[in-house]
Amino acid sequence: MRLIYAMLFALGVLWAPAVHAATLSFSQAKDAPRVAIVGGTVHDGTGAVLQDAVVEMQGARIVRVGPGAPSPGAKVIDATGKIVTPGLIAASTTLGLVEIGMEGSTRDTAREGGDAIRSGYDASVAVNASSTLLAVQAIDGVTTAASTPQGGLLSGQVAWIDLLPGHHHDIVAKPRVAVAGGLGQRVSGSRAATLARLAEVLDDARFYRSRKAAFDRRASRDLSAHRLDLEALGPVLGREVPLVLEAHRASDLLAAAALAKDLRVTIVGGTQAWQVADVLAEAKVPVIVHPTANLPGGFDRIGARLDNAAKLHEAGVTVGIAVLGEAHNVRNVTQQAGIAVAEGLPHEVALTAVTHTIASAYGMEADYGSLAVGKVANVVLWPADPFELATVPDAVYIRGASIPLVSRQTELRDRYLKRHGAR
Amino acid sequence: MLACGPKPRASTPPDAPATAPTSDSKTSPEPAKAAAHPAPILLRGARVMTATGVIYERGDVLLREGKVEAVGAAVDAPEGVTVLDVAGKTITPGIIDTHSHIGVYASPGLTAHSDGNEMSSATTPQVRAADGYWPQDPQIDLARAAGVTTMQILPGSANLIGGRSVTVRTVPDARSIEDVRFPGAPSGLKMACGENPKRVHGEKGGPMTRMGNMAGFRTAFQKAAEYKRRHEAWQAKKDEEDAGAPPDRDLGMETLVGVLDGDILVHNHCYRADEMLGMLALADEFGFRIRSFHHAVEAYKIADALAEHEVSASVWADWWGFKAEAYDSTRANAAMLSAAGARAIIHSDSAQGIQRLNQEAAKAKAAGERAGLSISEDEALRWITANAAWALGIHERTGTLEPGKMADVVVWSGDPLSVYTHAEQVYLGGALVFDRNDPNIRPSTDFEVGQHQAAGDVQ
Repeated sequence: MRLIYAMLFALGVLWAPAVHAATLSFSQAKDAPRVAIVGGTVHDGTGAVLQDAVVEMQGARIVRVGPGAPSPGAKVIDATGKIVTPGLIAASTTLGLVEIGMEGSTRDTAREGGDAIRSGYDASVAVNASSTLLAVQAIDGVTTAASTPQGGLLSGQVAWIDLLPGHHHDIVAKPRVAVAGGLGQRVSGSRAATLARLAEVLDDARFYRSRKAAFDRRASRDLSAHRLDLEALGPVLGREVPLVLEAHRASDLLAAAALAKDLRVTIVGGTQAWQVADVLAEAKVPVIVHPTANLPGGFDRIGARLDNAAKLHEAGVTVGIAVLGEAHNVRNVTQQAGIAVAEGLPHEVALTAVTHTIASAYGMEADYGSLAVGKVANVVLWPADPFELATVPDAVYIRGASIPLVSRQTELRDRYLKRHGAR
Repeated sequence: MLACGPKPRASTPPDAPATAPTSDSKTSPEPAKAAAHPAPILLRGARVMTATGVIYERGDVLLREGKVEAVGAAVDAPEGVTVLDVAGKTITPGIIDTHSHIGVYASPGLTAHSDGNEMSSATTPQVRAADGYWPQDPQIDLARAAGVTTMQILPGSANLIGGRSVTVRTVPDARSIEDVRFPGAPSGLKMACGENPKRVHGEKGGPMTRMGNMAGFRTAFQKAAEYKRRHEAWQAKKDEEDAGAPPDRDLGMETLVGVLDGDILVHNHCYRADEMLGMLALADEFGFRIRSFHHAVEAYKIADALAEHEVSASVWADWWGFKAEAYDSTRANAAMLSAAGARAIIHSDSAQGIQRLNQEAAKAKAAGERAGLSISEDEALRWITANAAWALGIHERTGTLEPGKMADVVVWSGDPLSVYTHAEQVYLGGALVFDRNDPNIRPSTDFEVGQHQAAGDVQ
């Protein structure tokens, strides 16, 4: 491993200034000063651990990962005794789309109005860089989120955001990275009707995609969904972006796995996934679970269990971990990962499950999810095991910049500590 | 096992000569007969966290006749007592949750299982959570497996006055609420401030505003004060010739009179600092006490007032933002209460959260330390044991490891403040009711029987 990294290091030096994907919303400053994190134990997010390695950032990108001394002129951050990881990524969250859950005026999480097919709903233009939720998560090590619309059968398009409060112009690193939706009783009160509708819409989208000109001439057959909703499914049909489906019951999970023959599919939730793990492994469908979801909360969730993640991993399924259904506390993804470890998931796999696996599940692994040359410089320094309940980061870098470790919550706390004379 | 069976309950036939506004029992009955006690056991060599301020780095705990008989650095094993070597483990009192809806909002979350909010009126002091409690809720098993031995089951927060709570133990194999009532525990009364009653009742008769909420509370307690006066007046002259018939009995009013008399403890769902202070003033006006504010996301803003009034606050470690009154959150809430000398409690209000109250306490403790507040391990443990017991009025019987307390004990695989730690064994009244390493000691409810690959099959 050390040898490989030594090679990467050599290549990194050569490649560094040139490597960056052009598709993201922010650019790489070529002459930005270098920042080198030295002396830490580096967990790269893909399972590799490097002792006493250097992670060097320049502008918004990682330019070097490996052994050796920092580059001349680099600003050196001493991480001796600390743990260095990629920024954690919150999957399938409404972060950026909601401020106060029950207040509709603060919520852009769904295109409401009854139609179950909303794939054209583009969350990226609704992301609110002023949201106080962003810093609350970021100071706990979550640097990135898959900002996801909700509701219906196809809910809309996912925005990939870095948690940078105030970055109104470029908080969205990449719009429309996936289409999100869900199986179960989403249409006509029936999971069968839901699957039939999904098949119909995908078929119409395929038809529309190949006959757009005819459609514009009104020489097309009738289509069952709005033009823009069908248009948005084009990249899904072309396997350019994944279809991210929430599903829980085994029968729905098998239906999602069947879709994976033609499409890139990611499953979210997966309560009964351990019961069909072999099929999911075979179909190479990643499953993003909420590890503590062990309540038999409905008859489609009988058999919910704490070791779902561990059992899926053992069966060869790629497992992601997320806090589902609660944008305000996606910071607790570390606790969720720790609980998955306590229930049998290997620790390094759990770290991958909150970084690299999430990036790949959304097709963003070229830029996110690991500490490697050319990746976006989202890096977290931890004083101890990131999953332990008392651990919070010592430093968080997002796109190469160290963020202030304050949030509205720490400021309220300090305001009242001061008023009460405790400070 | 653990028969806390019912005593004949006081009841007043409608035509009987009433003596007083005979109440529904304001406390759960004591066991009618002596329970058959489990065999005594000495847990030897663990780290023992007593929640009394004392931690034995290596200690022993003797459980006998349903009680903690001895706790110390070294306890001699009486003859014939089983000794269990638990070196490397940690022992704490059983975990207590002051806020649960298990049994009244059961899993699966069927419409048929929605028994926690009597939304037919904004003021329903006559209803009792005990009457809605389904002892076959599989969530009970999950709570027990997480070290929870006692929980207060509350009506929901749809109503200003939601009804009586009941404090239960996580006894396995219960057939009715009478098998699980915490013996001698006082009833609680659920009250709710703020958004929920407004939202639920605003379109159907009110209250529609916070003004209406407070008016609703005051109206109810004014009526209760008058009811109490009427009945006391009749009681005073009932033997006189012109005493006449006793005033009509009203079950709801009896509950509120129980509050005015201090027999029923008020558990007040209330998030905002200003509303909590308003409720303290209202309680002063009518002469009753609030035992615990629940959720209390802004408790840290009034930690001094809560300490002064000796009102506890049952808070989360970090739930926030789901509604406006939960917006001003800090993870240091519990720690700031402790630092101000108030009684802090970490509660769940969630069948998931109840499974990791120890972890939630750990997060809240760490947040306090980051704020520069020193919170001991013992104090963090008290948030989920002794302080919770106080809020429920059962602190003389449970909540700490002291001789004479109920033998409600958890043996943890390690530090209960670590994310990696499991409750390995749970003792209830000295009986082993859960063992992570023994599939034969993982009780399951009837619901789980025959469900294909149900959670109960394996931990």
